[in-house]
Amino acid sequence: MSVSVRYYDIRRVIGEVTQIDLDNGRIEQAGSSFFDKAIIRVLGDNGWGVVSVTGEELDTDHIPSSLITKAAETSAITNTHINIEITPSGIHPVPPMKEDPRDVSLEEKVSLLMELDTATKGQDIVSRRIQYLEKAEKVIFSDSSGHEYSYNLCRCGFSVMAVASRGGTAQMGYERDHTINGLNIRHRQDLATEAAVRAVKLLDASPAKGGRMQAVLDPELAGVFAHEAVGHASEGDLIKEGSSILKGKINENIGSPLLYIVDDPSIPAFGFCPVDDEGSATKRTEIISKGVLSNYLHSKETLSTIGNGDPGHCRGMPGVEPIVRMSNTFIQNGDASYDEIIDECRSGILLKGSRGGQVDPGRGIFQFNAEYGYLIENGELSSMVRDVSLSGEILDVLHNISMVGKDCTLHPGYCGKGGQTVPVTDGSPHLFLNNAIIGGCDID
Amino acid sequence: MIDKILSAAEKETDECEILLINSDAISAELKKEAIAIGSRSEAQGLIIRVIKDKKIGVSCTDNPELWKNCLKAAIDSSTFANTTEWKGLPGQEKLDQKLLSFDNRIKPEPEILNKLLERLIAGSRTFQADITSGSASIISSGHIIANSNGMMYETKGTLVNIGIEMIAGQSTGYEFDTSWNLDMINPEITGEKAAFLANKGQNGKDLKTGSYEVVLSPVALSELIGAAIVPALSGRNVHTGRSFFSGKIGTEVSDPSVSLIDDPYDSRGLANCAWDGEGMPVQENCFIDNGTLTTFAYDLRTAYRYDQKPTASAVRSGQSGAPSIGNHNLILKGKNGEILDDEVIFVHNLIGAHTANPMSGDFSVELSSPFIARDGEMDEPIKSGMISGNIFELLHQIEGISEETRTLGSMIMPSVRFSGLSVIGRG
Repeated sequence: MSVSVRYYDIRRVIGEVTQIDLDNGRIEQAGSSFFDKAIIRVLGDNGWGVVSVTGEELDTDHIPSSLITKAAETSAITNTHINIEITPSGIHPVPPMKEDPRDVSLEEKVSLLMELDTATKGQDIVSRRIQYLEKAEKVIFSDSSGHEYSYNLCRCGFSVMAVASRGGTAQMGYERDHTINGLNIRHRQDLATEAAVRAVKLLDASPAKGGRMQAVLDPELAGVFAHEAVGHASEGDLIKEGSSILKGKINENIGSPLLYIVDDPSIPAFGFCPVDDEGSATKRTEIISKGVLSNYLHSKETLSTIGNGDPGHCRGMPGVEPIVRMSNTFIQNGDASYDEIIDECRSGILLKGSRGGQVDPGRGIFQFNAEYGYLIENGELSSMVRDVSLSGEILDVLHNISMVGKDCTLHPGYCGKGGQTVPVTDGSPHLFLNNAIIGGCDID
Repeated sequence: MIDKILSAAEKETDECEILLINSDAISAELKKEAIAIGSRSEAQGLIIRVIKDKKIGVSCTDNPELWKNCLKAAIDSSTFANTTEWKGLPGQEKLDQKLLSFDNRIKPEPEILNKLLERLIAGSRTFQADITSGSASIISSGHIIANSNGMMYETKGTLVNIGIEMIAGQSTGYEFDTSWNLDMINPEITGEKAAFLANKGQNGKDLKTGSYEVVLSPVALSELIGAAIVPALSGRNVHTGRSFFSGKIGTEVSDPSVSLIDDPYDSRGLANCAWDGEGMPVQENCFIDNGTLTTFAYDLRTAYRYDQKPTASAVRSGQSGAPSIGNHNLILKGKNGEILDDEVIFVHNLIGAHTANPMSGDFSVELSSPFIARDGEMDEPIKSGMISGNIFELLHQIEGISEETRTLGSMIMPSVRFSGLSVIGRG
């Protein structure tokens, strides 16, 4: 079997993962694991051939010709001709860390986390869990055009969960922070306490009432909104497959003129990509400008077929083929203050924190869940509510944004697509949404 | 290699356990109706767990040649752990090591993939709709589990996966199937179902907010059960104050007609094996017996710590490779009946089921591919809507259960009819 090789790239990721699990103050686990994974992609006569092996197989040979041949043979099953665009190449420097977590002993990390555990203790708190995750990766990339990149990136962070229980009901408070800026578990007792205090407060919160109403989204949740309602639907692979409602809508007004949504893998936040996973340079892509759909997010392949957008948005987990992904996605600041937004809302609901979300981009319907919220009455916050979600139709809801705040913050998290999970941030200022569909366990 | 690791560990630890995994997979991905990507993946994994002075340490690597580093990391990790009640790793038992999920016809060959995809596409033509993406994969894998108490078991298995996403107008349909046995996978039906959902889901009507009779498909049901019921059955969550079921043994937690069982030998299972993730002989565990909560799931560590009987519920998932508490084939059983009688909302899937509150069980999620079923037929599509409620309360609202089931990972689930579910409509 002889298949020609029109393009190849090789990505190897050598990594060490450190995990610590403190369960009610007990050290359940504290240790490290290692991986070394490589993926070889070849564009054959028709489509892609992809081979995933242990990284060690690349050690013997500078250009692993046998693996390239194997990937080319794997492409023989394909029956559609795929082209790729030649894209600008380059790498951003990885910013130095304030304190490299690898220089801090496991023992010290455990004792810092113990301080967080202590900070979650309190009346009515029946369960506490502190988890730490650190992933240090060395990424080595090369392709058939002669590009070669290598960088080291260490991501670390922690989560705090507190469960409060009283009179037969139990509620959970959850906080987390992940970063590429180095060890972030020193002096974080405030965040841990916040999780515990919220869990206790939620015991007295009432279930939210479902239905149509005015809603204010906090920066974390509004970031998830940008991610679920717009980000996914603007991914070039979904556009190419015909499974996004935003297909064919470039230059169309799809939302409020106040709305600017950006994905920027070059920002050194948790979703940072010094270079993307097929060697394209990364830069800011404005998906929506002034309410108009301006750009899609692309890989080399989807840019070639679809156009109207930027490459540099192709990412893969170690050992897995890269696909079009978001990185740091956010709604740009407007000019309203938080107080103005709550005042303007008069009557509605403020949604805070995120328990994640999901979208069906073909149908154009999304859902996401807030950790908690407050009713807004007469332009002021009143009682706390729990278990409140929001769903909507992408093409409707973007027109319903009537105020955009000026307090944008980015929140780290993880995003799943096609069985792959990658680190991202989502962010936004406070948003005021008219006529939102709120889900809650209580209905009229 | 196993002997080398065990003998090296013997000098430095009290007990040692080794799990050696290998897999060889081939897959192909459809973009629209054409195959755009062919993939091949060969992977190995080594997980070493050591116990020293009643402290447990674990490490893993994808390169078994580096076992010395892995063993050292596992021993280092044990030094930081708190001591735990520990009564030893299991010894060798006379287990039937017959392969329970292996089909010798399934080999990582492109011809098999081509055939599966051809059949999937053929089925998808039953109703007018476009394929957006699809995939087929074949995995052959094996593992050896061994420990310093003389236990060693070896098995291998096969797995076929197919999946397809379709669209008609703004209506999407997603279907998939998985089996270890080539005869138990039916790509034509999978393609036809996806096309049906996409095609028949067009021009859906708006629903009024209110209380409805709702049937959740096995897919929708498994997502809700996975979000709150499964974690609540974990012995670790129960004893650390994170389970709704804490302190409820012997009480009625569901409709009296309902039972929830983990049967590792059920023939519909995807990866049946005579031992669990720690080499304990698997057994049937009945969590809910005709409405009454009877037991929880335990791995060795949790069972020893809380002085409970181990239930052989250890599974291996997650990044560290350490055993965690799970289930093998979780089966919901109950009163079978015609669940689509009269008029009922049928929900094929959910958007955002993972956002349910795992502690309280409260959820409010968006419907995917919902229909109004009348007298057994998917009569009228629904445009959109959310359902909300409490997963633990749902167990009391079960009206009927379908005879037909679907295997979804480690669950075997029927379609279930619930009374009085809140639906938030757009109307």
